[in-house]
Amino acid sequence: MNQLTPAEPVVVARDLVVDYLAAHGPVRALDGVDLAVDAGETVGVVGESGSGKSTLGAALGRLLPSRAERRHGSMHVAGHSVFDLAPQPLRQLRRDQLGFVFQDPIGALDPTMRVGAQVRRALRGRQPSPRRSTRDAVAALLDQVRLRDPARVARAYPHQLSGGMAQRVALAMAMAVQPRVLVADEPTAALDSQVRDEVLDTILALTRAAGTTVLWLSHDLNAVARRCARVVVMYGGRVVEDGPAHAVLARPAHPYTHALASSAPSHARPGERLTPIPGRPPLLAGPAPGCAFAERCRFVVDRCATERPPLARVNGQAVLCHRAEELRSTAALPLPARPTDIPAEIGGGR
Amino acid sequence: MNQMSIHRDGSVEPPTPTPTPTPVLELDRASVVFPSGPPWRRRRVPAMREVTLQVSAGETLGVVGESGSGKTTTAMVALGLRRPTTGVVRFEGASMPRRRRALAGRMQVVLQHPQWSLDPRMRVGRSVAEPLVVAERLARRAANTTSGAINGSSSGSITDAVAVMLEKVGLDASVAKRHPHELSGGQRQRVAIARALITRPRFVVFDEAVSALDVSVQAQILNLVVDVQAEYGFGALFISHDLGAVRYVAHRIAVMRHGCVVETADTETFYRTPEHEYSRQLLEAL
Amino acid sequence: MKRLDWLSRCGLICLMVLVAAAVAGWFGLAGDPAAIDGDRLRPPGAAAWLGTDDLGRSLLPRLLEGIGATLLLSSLAVLVTAVVSTALGIVAGYVGGAVNEAVLRLVEVLYAFPSIVLAILVAAVVGPGRPAAMAAIVLVTIPLMTRLVRAAAATVASRDYITSAVVSGVGMPTMLVRHVLPNVGGTIAVQGTYALSIGILVEGGLSFLGLGVQPPQASLGVLIAQGGIYMVAAPWLVIAPGVVLVLAILSINVLGDGLRDRLEPREARSLT
Repeated sequence: MNQLTPAEPVVVARDLVVDYLAAHGPVRALDGVDLAVDAGETVGVVGESGSGKSTLGAALGRLLPSRAERRHGSMHVAGHSVFDLAPQPLRQLRRDQLGFVFQDPIGALDPTMRVGAQVRRALRGRQPSPRRSTRDAVAALLDQVRLRDPARVARAYPHQLSGGMAQRVALAMAMAVQPRVLVADEPTAALDSQVRDEVLDTILALTRAAGTTVLWLSHDLNAVARRCARVVVMYGGRVVEDGPAHAVLARPAHPYTHALASSAPSHARPGERLTPIPGRPPLLAGPAPGCAFAERCRFVVDRCATERPPLARVNGQAVLCHRAEELRSTAALPLPARPTDIPAEIGGGR
Repeated sequence: MNQMSIHRDGSVEPPTPTPTPTPVLELDRASVVFPSGPPWRRRRVPAMREVTLQVSAGETLGVVGESGSGKTTTAMVALGLRRPTTGVVRFEGASMPRRRRALAGRMQVVLQHPQWSLDPRMRVGRSVAEPLVVAERLARRAANTTSGAINGSSSGSITDAVAVMLEKVGLDASVAKRHPHELSGGQRQRVAIARALITRPRFVVFDEAVSALDVSVQAQILNLVVDVQAEYGFGALFISHDLGAVRYVAHRIAVMRHGCVVETADTETFYRTPEHEYSRQLLEAL
Repeated sequence: MKRLDWLSRCGLICLMVLVAAAVAGWFGLAGDPAAIDGDRLRPPGAAAWLGTDDLGRSLLPRLLEGIGATLLLSSLAVLVTAVVSTALGIVAGYVGGAVNEAVLRLVEVLYAFPSIVLAILVAAVVGPGRPAAMAAIVLVTIPLMTRLVRAAAATVASRDYITSAVVSGVGMPTMLVRHVLPNVGGTIAVQGTYALSIGILVEGGLSFLGLGVQPPQASLGVLIAQGGIYMVAAPWLVIAPGVVLVLAILSINVLGDGLRDRLEPREARSLT
């Protein structure tokens, strides 16, 4: 994993705090995110809606809505401090270093333009490979994302495509410039389940070939753990657990990760009742005084509510929990044995 | 694709339901064909091919399959919203009436999208009450035409019924006064379930009812489905692409692919080794 | 809830000022529009704030009368449009199938005519005058509004709450009134404002051509037509009603934009 690349991490967030300005006061979306991602890593960012994962993804390209405001901290992408860039270099960074794939693929494409023209646009400013017309370049790109009939797709309008095809087109456009970092925000949430696996496979194969770093934002811990080397769990606008996928899934170190994993129905054994996480995710107005999960946590102690948990290292995982060490040593967070346990090498090696 | 139907109904029933002789709902070799393309080049696209299913009272039949496998069409046919091109649908032993209103209140549905499961312009209380109001109005009309005797309930008792139902699904009765946009996705699905159960239906279809929810909320709603089913004893069709969720709530599971039921078996089987290769693939993907 | 943004609020205020002016004119607060003051083509001044026309009538009261006539006529016409379009659009969008096709084809035929040609056609059939102007506005605004209401109703018809209401046994009339109508209400309000601005424009055009409101009655179109003759000698005669016409249309359009942002926040801004 990250020990193989001694170079600078390509994405670095330092204590990043972002608020949304709502009519009734600010809502805290990111409450001090610390994250470093090395070049070429495939990171699954897991969180429920409202956990801040989409805000984090948007912050990478400073694509936050106008009512969002960075309050504190920094975000570096490929060495540039994103929030301090002037408009021109920021555009350049977005164009050359970043790719985005969003949830609604058809909405991400311009309905009035043929697909080919849009892909050509994404290629603009890039030197096409010598002696190759842009038409070929477009076809090659569409072929790369495993669209069956690239020429026909290029002539089509977005509404003529299925969701899966449109998402592949969006991926082709995002990858046209071979960006350093690809942010995929729930890329398959709007797709049919059959197509989901194919699209995810395409995304990961393509980015691996190009050496692109991937941040895949999802609410599905299992799906992410199956495909990513590293999993980052977000809750209440913070990264609460960060570690190798197989370790996070097999031995979650944060009570929230554990609760999330055990609430998945595919974990339940016959006749066993699911244990949902009680309560609701917090809606923060300012910095959380303690641990944001404290209200819903089975292992809560007094200081959880008043003291922000510092970063703890438990085995290979970085955890924001006061009792992380203790819970690990007492094995208080057991997971039901899964019928199909994930072998370590799927999560770990690449 | 049709030859692989494996039926093992009735062999080993799970402990809870005692199957009644007549199933609540029965599809007998039901097929649906959609016309597609312009009239001069009309093609016939089969969505359901000779699907045979039975749901007994107190039993949840899970239907799992990819999109395009025909499971949503199956739901529409089971609800009487679409007539099968060939084959028969029977509800409580009788074939589906021509007019849907004849079934008002006896059959309900919970659908996928929490943001659209409730009319955004209606207060939650009115949404929950609607099926009851409709069913009572129809009952009164029928009673008026035959005899004068009716026991219509006043608006007060409807309000009470709504409050009881909301509490049954784990919500505060005061939610009735709110609008859907003031609720979270999970709360809205709870309201949708309350709305579906207020008429004490004999048969309920859950079509991807938890698919759009966050994982942690899914577990709450799945537990709720299991609980209300045990309490009210309706027959249920639980449709989802997620075998994990289906396996959790269903007593028996039918696997659909390309419009066919390829395997029907007890849920137990889907924790171990289902027979059909495709079912095994689904299991492995969990 | 969200309030209107400042631009739309300006539009609303401007529109209210125009309506107030029309009401003031109605009660004769600015004088009698038909009274002849004496001097012809007198420039704006203390005696006649906006000058006098070619017959020596003060322009201000005539302008107020014109505003009132134009607004009233267009509003009534748009009301008719709203009722017809809503009925057609909701039924077509909800029922779908052959009904939908029939409504769409009908509307497309109307849509195919350039609006001013359609208006002239109506005036030719009905005969010039207020009824012709109103009928023209109705015919010009119906196609767009029907299509948009139909599209909105079709979207609503595909929502889960409609399906679950059908399953519960809710009948069609109840469905249309209780569920579909309230949920396309935003679209109707927004499109109604746009139709109003189109209506004002059509009235202006028809009356300018002499096919709408007939002199000596005033409307913005009539005033512009009459003032146009003396454009060089007495430019105020055409500038004043022209400015008012532009103001009216602009303010209605920004109000419509504001309403759309508030009532249909999900719709893309680029659609109209």
